[in-house]
Amino acid sequence: MTTYIIRRLIQTVVVIVLLSYVCFSLMTLMPGDPVELMIQSNPKITSEDVARLRTLYGLDQPSYVRYFNWVKTIAAGDLGYSRTYRIPVSELMGPKLLNTFYLSLASLLLSILISVPLGIYSALHPGSKADNAVNFFAFAGISVPSFWLAIMLILTFSVYYKIFPAGGTFTIGIDENQSWDYFWDRSKYLVLPTVSLSYQSIGRFLRFTRSAMLEAMRNDYIRTAKAKGLSYTRVIWGHGFRNALIPLITILALSFSSLFSGAVITETVFAYQGVGKLVYDSIIGNDFNVAMVSFIISVAMVLLFNLIADILYGVVDPRISYK
Amino acid sequence: MSTNEKTKVITAEQRAEMERFQPMWKIVLTQFFEHRMAVIGLAVISFFIFVALMAPVIASITGLDSERQNALNRYKPVNSYVTVSTDEREAKVTEFIRDHAEEANSLQAELIAKGLVQPPRPEDALFDLVGKDPQETLKILSQVNGEPALHLTKIVNNFESHHWLGTDELGRDVFIRLVYGTRVSMGVGILVALASSLIGLLIGAVAGYYGGFIDTLLMRLTDSLLSLPILPIQIVIAAIDLNKVPGLGFLVGDENQSIYKLVFILVLFSWMTVALLVRGSILSLREREFILAAKTLGANDSTIIFRHMFPNVVAPMLVSVTLGVGESILWEAALSFLGLGIQQPTPSWGNMLFNAQDLMTEAPFLAILPGILIFATTISFNYLGDGLQDAIDPKAIRR
Amino acid sequence: MKLSMTAFSLFLTLAFSANSQAALSNDEFKIGISQEFENFNPLIATMSATSYMYSLVGRALVTLDADGKWVPQLAKSIPSMENGGAKFATVNGKKTVVATWEIIPAAKWSDGKPVVCEDFKLARTIADSPNVSVGDKETYTQIEKVDWDPKSPQKCTFTYDKARWDFYQLARTYPLPSHLETAVFAQYGAQKEGYEKNTLYAKTPTADGLFNGPYKIAEVKLGSHVTFVPNQYFYGPQPKIKKIIVKLIPNTGTLEANLRSGTIDTVSSLGFSFDQALAFDKKVKSESLPYKVEFKPSLTYEHIDLNMENPTLKDIKVRKALVYSLNREDLVKALFEGRQQVALHHMATIDPWYTADPKVITIYNYNKREASRLLDEAGWKMNDKDNYRYKDGKKLSLQFMTTAGNKTRETVQTYLQGQWKAVGIEVVIKNEPARVFFGETTKKRKYGAMAMYAWVSSPESNPKSTFHTASIPSDKNGYSGQNQMGWSNKTVDKLVESLETEFDAKKRTEIAHQIAKIYTDDVPVIPLYYRSDIAVPPLALKHFRLTGHQYAETNEAELWDLTK
Repeated sequence: MTTYIIRRLIQTVVVIVLLSYVCFSLMTLMPGDPVELMIQSNPKITSEDVARLRTLYGLDQPSYVRYFNWVKTIAAGDLGYSRTYRIPVSELMGPKLLNTFYLSLASLLLSILISVPLGIYSALHPGSKADNAVNFFAFAGISVPSFWLAIMLILTFSVYYKIFPAGGTFTIGIDENQSWDYFWDRSKYLVLPTVSLSYQSIGRFLRFTRSAMLEAMRNDYIRTAKAKGLSYTRVIWGHGFRNALIPLITILALSFSSLFSGAVITETVFAYQGVGKLVYDSIIGNDFNVAMVSFIISVAMVLLFNLIADILYGVVDPRISYK
Repeated sequence: MSTNEKTKVITAEQRAEMERFQPMWKIVLTQFFEHRMAVIGLAVISFFIFVALMAPVIASITGLDSERQNALNRYKPVNSYVTVSTDEREAKVTEFIRDHAEEANSLQAELIAKGLVQPPRPEDALFDLVGKDPQETLKILSQVNGEPALHLTKIVNNFESHHWLGTDELGRDVFIRLVYGTRVSMGVGILVALASSLIGLLIGAVAGYYGGFIDTLLMRLTDSLLSLPILPIQIVIAAIDLNKVPGLGFLVGDENQSIYKLVFILVLFSWMTVALLVRGSILSLREREFILAAKTLGANDSTIIFRHMFPNVVAPMLVSVTLGVGESILWEAALSFLGLGIQQPTPSWGNMLFNAQDLMTEAPFLAILPGILIFATTISFNYLGDGLQDAIDPKAIRR
Repeated sequence: MKLSMTAFSLFLTLAFSANSQAALSNDEFKIGISQEFENFNPLIATMSATSYMYSLVGRALVTLDADGKWVPQLAKSIPSMENGGAKFATVNGKKTVVATWEIIPAAKWSDGKPVVCEDFKLARTIADSPNVSVGDKETYTQIEKVDWDPKSPQKCTFTYDKARWDFYQLARTYPLPSHLETAVFAQYGAQKEGYEKNTLYAKTPTADGLFNGPYKIAEVKLGSHVTFVPNQYFYGPQPKIKKIIVKLIPNTGTLEANLRSGTIDTVSSLGFSFDQALAFDKKVKSESLPYKVEFKPSLTYEHIDLNMENPTLKDIKVRKALVYSLNREDLVKALFEGRQQVALHHMATIDPWYTADPKVITIYNYNKREASRLLDEAGWKMNDKDNYRYKDGKKLSLQFMTTAGNKTRETVQTYLQGQWKAVGIEVVIKNEPARVFFGETTKKRKYGAMAMYAWVSSPESNPKSTFHTASIPSDKNGYSGQNQMGWSNKTVDKLVESLETEFDAKKRTEIAHQIAKIYTDDVPVIPLYYRSDIAVPPLALKHFRLTGHQYAETNEAELWDLTK
């Protein structure tokens, strides 16, 4: 088990390094570099100055050398400097990561809380009216454009009914000590983004839970368990659900990936201060260091959760053993 | 699978009916038609495909043009009649002069002689005339007698256009833009789904059939692509300067550059599911007797893959393609929403939505309509995929 | 069901009752902007949102007021030849101007230290450093020297790089607190991005002593908001509003929702798109909302640069045809409801040098047939099959670029595309994010044919940096200069040079008109329209004036008053 985890960890690190190199190369294909921004603002600059600046920034070197230098500075704990905001990246990332984490977590919890019970219910009553309704709800979830839903939510709940704020992260000026008021305030701002972000995953989880549960209930051991005279609840939870859980965990862990990237759109529409929006802005604004760091963080998170999913597999499914 | 099943008494005819041999496709078809929502989905999709294919015909029947602007009449509500733009009126006059030069000349001379218009140059007389408000133009024309004036009056009477679904921010007809948007969005969706399933099919087949190192390599690639946060990478790729990519410079400046780029980006990140699926089926097929038989008979690899294996993976792929179309349409919309998708003036549902978002509260219809179309298409594709899945899944046969 | 829905929403409304719009008072004022901002170092900052906010906290010797006049701020008065504050001098064999600027004694940094000449010298030194990227570098370095007598550290002598008539306008440069920033620059100035990273404006923006304006910063959350509180050491009257919060709402589509739900109290001049402002204006009137939608003609000149290296555009007939085929009157009427004005040349209507006299400049009135005639003459013949023009088998096709994501520009762009299509010119649109578009494309003339964007100038500004041959960005000058058309005209070169040192106001106007004549004759640029600034102040806000130029309305924020 331990060797398996270690091997997977090493694999994950290798993948991250490879991907970061790919991304680094992609970023160098983007137009503009820091020296060009300086030239733009200085009409008296000479070509010698430009050459000197390029050397100073290491821009005259091939991209693999620049990549290597960049890795060195990262390894030394220096995440670099944001060209757009003109502050160190480390100061920029912290709070945004936390905000995204709140949003993703809330959305994930909401998705699970709604989709798992509904999915099981509809799997146990296939073909019923309720099943059809749940199915439609799920299909609608995976089919609705998330930004459109977000805009509709704002129109309904902020403009028309004025129940929730139209955008933002928290009320500016509120006391940020972890008091009850602060928590309440943050929650208020989280409601609409969470709903719009989670509806899509609710749709997917629902479909998944339902089919996993249907599959599980079709197995022979269910018939055996029923024949043994076990109680209905016991059959469903102890035998059906336990087995439906295995594929479910995979999709849950994988969904962290979409929670991080899906947040780009939701965070933009709701002006929510998270990593997703930062990634988008930094890529568009060619803010190299921010883009690379946030990109690597989101890739690393995804790969990490894949690993966790694989390990959890073994916990819920005794048939799987890690060697 | 209700818990209290009762024994059903069946007649001999029913029994005979049930035991009669049915070919597979018939079973599948019957199964499919039992899935009501899938059938509705198929109908909706067929309708949209029909609309997409017929877009030019619809345009010529209604006389609408998806790019024709009428900036003085923007944001008109549903079902409104507006005067066409000056440019178009002038174009009509140019046509009139070209086709009926004599009539035009005499009319021009008469207009100037009667002092009804004062153009800077005589040949501008008719243009000056139609540049005025249509009511005024008609009034002036009524003061001139003769065939030419009547002819032009007829043309001026047609200086009105009807917009069922109103007009957008440049006075373009929303209905025809939605029709052409259907063409673009469905086209991109279907193209991406087909291309990515072809790539997935190839990669999956090669990996599954040959196994070993190739398999490991291809599957690692598939896994890492699957685990990536797609949107940020798509943003990076969409933002790349094509001039800096060797070999792609020729695309720069092409009218459809944004469409090619979008299709490329979407295909790049959507072949993995098909690859996994195909690989799985091929792995299990590899051990089957008929493949062994083919091998023994000396068939080469490509024959085995193409002749014997592919037919067996077509069914599950069909499902995946169907689901893929819906997903691609959503991605197109998402990227267009971020301003990285299809560029104006080509309409797509995604960029129509993007254009409408600023005026959500004032012209909500402009945003609601494309959103509903995206939703309707995607959900139809999803139901269709679900129906197909049920129909071809042997476990689900409900005979 | 319906009842329970109502009850539910009632419950929610009660639970989250914070959204009912509180009555406005001087205690707090929340401004909405839609553009990103950066750190507050006035030299490094380049974003318009930052300069918008900087006027709340920092002042210069002079500024341009809302009436378009130069007025002193930190200076006692503006020196001139007439009042003896400035005189000609010859330094190192070069004729130049030397001016004496006296700082008002009340001018203090927010830690109570006086603003002194050394502060201006430090700003100039840092701006001149090759390792620091300074947005408005040219303005700082046109002041060659800052001297003072140690006995009177607030009486400074500025020596300029040449005998320029507009020397006093260069005093719009901002000082930096030398008692704080000198040490930072000494320590990090030689490193790459060293000063940018370590300036106190980035490290401790809320520290005392960094600002000399009516407000100082109480809190900065990049990408979210900035909170301002009064600066007790401000030289002028203490501001009436006790707290200003500038909130960033990046999605303009939700700006209105935020305004109406009370998340913000006003939308600044960096907020609404034009379409939104027009729509909101109608709503304000029909629903009698407590806001005013203000439009103010500005010095922002929207235009299309023509790439003079493009073989098709080298033909002046094609360039003229491009202008003739544009119905700019309709454009302004249709898209802006007449709230912005058609541009004839580079000088805006509120510029004293503005002229619309057809005897002085060449005016192109919309005329599609004239455009067609010119194109025919140039050899571009209409093909009846696809309704585009061809010459030697080549289609008349031009690439048209602008900044992606700017809603108004993209709409205008599509409108123009339609107009040109009508005369048989194919226009291919390619848009890029602003940083890429300005950072690379326009500067290196990588736009195929046309690039649409805006210049913001001050009144009576010399177009040298955009018109002079030496200002064409090229490999030789390291791609500096802003003649992004690549326009080279010897007469214009001479005229802009002489304009710089012409002290006679009347002659200056004449020269400016001569330049405008050549500019309109030669058509290196297609003038489109002059933008208007838009803001949505609440009705209760008094002394709010839009300026129409780069010194935002916040320059008078200390006067703003919300009391009834």
